[in-house]
Amino acid sequence: MIRFYIALWAAKLVDAILTLRGDRQNDRAGYIANRLCPDFMARVTKPKLVVAITGTNGKTTTSTLVCNMLRSKGKKVSFNEWGANINAGYSINLLRCVDIFNRCRVDASVLEADENSTCEGMPMIRPDYMVVTNICKDSLRRNGHPEYIFDRINRAFAALGGRTVAILNANDPISSELARNTGARRVFFGMDDIHADPLENRVKDVAVCPRCGGEIRYHYRHYRHIGDFYCTDCDFATPAMDYRASGVDLDKGTITVAERDGAATYPLMSDTVFYAFNTLSAVALFRELGYSRQEIADFLATQKVPKIRESVVEYDGIRYYAYAAKGQNISAASTVFEHLAKDPSVKELVFSLDEVQDANHPPETLSWLYETDYEFLNVPQIRKIIVGGHMCHAHRLRLLLAGVPEEKIVCVENEADVPQYVDTEGIDRVYVLYEIDFVTKGQQIRDAIVERAREVKGK
Amino acid sequence: MKIVENLFPELCNIFGESSSPAYLARCSDEIDLRQTNHKTVPAFVTEDVDMVYLGCSPESKQEQIIEVLRPYLGRIRELIEKGTIFLVTGNAVEIFGREIRDGDRVIPALGLFDFYSVRYMDRERHNSQYIAAFATEAGETITLLGHRSQFSFSYGDFSREPLASVELGIGMNPDTKYEGLRRNHFFGTYSLGPYLIMNPLFTKYLLRLMGLDDSLCYEREAMKAYEYRRDELRRTLH
Repeated sequence: MIRFYIALWAAKLVDAILTLRGDRQNDRAGYIANRLCPDFMARVTKPKLVVAITGTNGKTTTSTLVCNMLRSKGKKVSFNEWGANINAGYSINLLRCVDIFNRCRVDASVLEADENSTCEGMPMIRPDYMVVTNICKDSLRRNGHPEYIFDRINRAFAALGGRTVAILNANDPISSELARNTGARRVFFGMDDIHADPLENRVKDVAVCPRCGGEIRYHYRHYRHIGDFYCTDCDFATPAMDYRASGVDLDKGTITVAERDGAATYPLMSDTVFYAFNTLSAVALFRELGYSRQEIADFLATQKVPKIRESVVEYDGIRYYAYAAKGQNISAASTVFEHLAKDPSVKELVFSLDEVQDANHPPETLSWLYETDYEFLNVPQIRKIIVGGHMCHAHRLRLLLAGVPEEKIVCVENEADVPQYVDTEGIDRVYVLYEIDFVTKGQQIRDAIVERAREVKGK
Repeated sequence: MKIVENLFPELCNIFGESSSPAYLARCSDEIDLRQTNHKTVPAFVTEDVDMVYLGCSPESKQEQIIEVLRPYLGRIRELIEKGTIFLVTGNAVEIFGREIRDGDRVIPALGLFDFYSVRYMDRERHNSQYIAAFATEAGETITLLGHRSQFSFSYGDFSREPLASVELGIGMNPDTKYEGLRRNHFFGTYSLGPYLIMNPLFTKYLLRLMGLDDSLCYEREAMKAYEYRRDELRRTLH
């Protein structure tokens, strides 16, 4: 116990100093707490409500929704909105829930949880609810493969037993298998066919039935492997949904969610199926927490898509986007490519997807390029693709193998030179696709392109 | 026509491995690329295929593949002795060793090579790259580039039948510079992903082994990407 209090006080002191310096979005205090007291997360007093949100994609958006909802209801919530989602992040979150006497002073903790670290942190934290948005292909270096991530999260559920309610995606053949036979109550959300008509991915997130190795087929898919699935050889299939989106109108921005005792229509904050799923998972949680349908609808009407994902500047009739694409996260990058392929506007693309730190360290793997669906980019309305950075030759080869005509590809080693290759004549949009951890860099490239367009017009 | 058989792509394409045989087929119109599902009998069992490819898989599927291949062990041995090309990448090399150890579990493998592998699933995943020298029968040296990302290492005396000698990076485990397996035209490497796209010179070598013209699909761009990466690795690997 002495060790715990030393850790608590030391971490509190460091957190206070960092906060005074204006560096509140720093999880160093959490790191110190864990170093001084390895079971800090188990010993620290928890709020009445602890919610963890994990999964490959959508956890930041979903956890932000959860935090905002609780705060809108007057709750004091501890939340790492800057994405500190591994052990140090959990500890700083929980550290800020208590005073120096380990007395809890907030109502809830919302933890965005990196899926790879759930099996270490969650058994100590013992959340009341764990939402799993999905499990998809991600960065090889960070997350290995989906089966490995499934195993990591499932170990967390196995350790938690019946303590934690599992809120799961019924349309995901991978994550819907979580928490089976663990004693946990499993709550499923899912979606009826919305005729999303997704493109086929070249590398599958789940290739065979996890129970028998048979072939997985779909009555319909929403995106990637998410859909109404069944195995050809056993009874593995989409589980019954507790929260079923029976009507989704992406154009009107509404989602109707049916429950056992009724249904309600909620506003969506974006016109993509991914945000619809994020909203649906949050609605499932809110209902489990006892909020009324009207309360949820009123809250969702106030929400907007976080700016980090995209920002747009309009100049001379052309929209210039800086657009987060998560290089190395195969499912996220392929999803962005699919979005660009389906968008009918005439456009030029700029790739700034390399992990910047890899330029001075052993270069990143090529494998993600060959798992990601570059084939989607071979459409007439994408007029040119400018690939910048130290991986530009690898991107160029990949685009050629994907069928993109040679004359559409420009390879620029020095990203500072990118703007001069953008030709705005006759196009509607320019997209700068940037690695999500480098928002500023992506926006700077976009702004330089706009600046050059101004100069050209001025002449 | 030359038959190239891609074994179990539904299980062994987790990091884009199927891009390797697909690239090979795009290099020559004379290649008949066969895709074999793990629930069907492989073509190599009944036909004299020219090349067999097996890629990386999740750990649980690795065990399944061992049992799928075990009935054909004699045939695999015969084909290796005959000089049929095998290209085996990522953790698929472990399938051809003696056993895989996973905690207290010992998973018997095919036993074609005398080494064993150990999984460290609770440790940080090992990620690294290598530059290695591969010697052809003609005395030419090809620089191979590899990328590994794995939970396991292999142990044994790899000096007898190595694929290549590592110049920068590690071999079959952190304590050896011997990388991969080679017996006649059986080539195994821990490197994963699109190995033949990453190594155009090795791809040309395989095409020549099959008696085909060794021109590559997008050869100029493939060589440019390879040379750029090789130089970058030389500069950054320690």
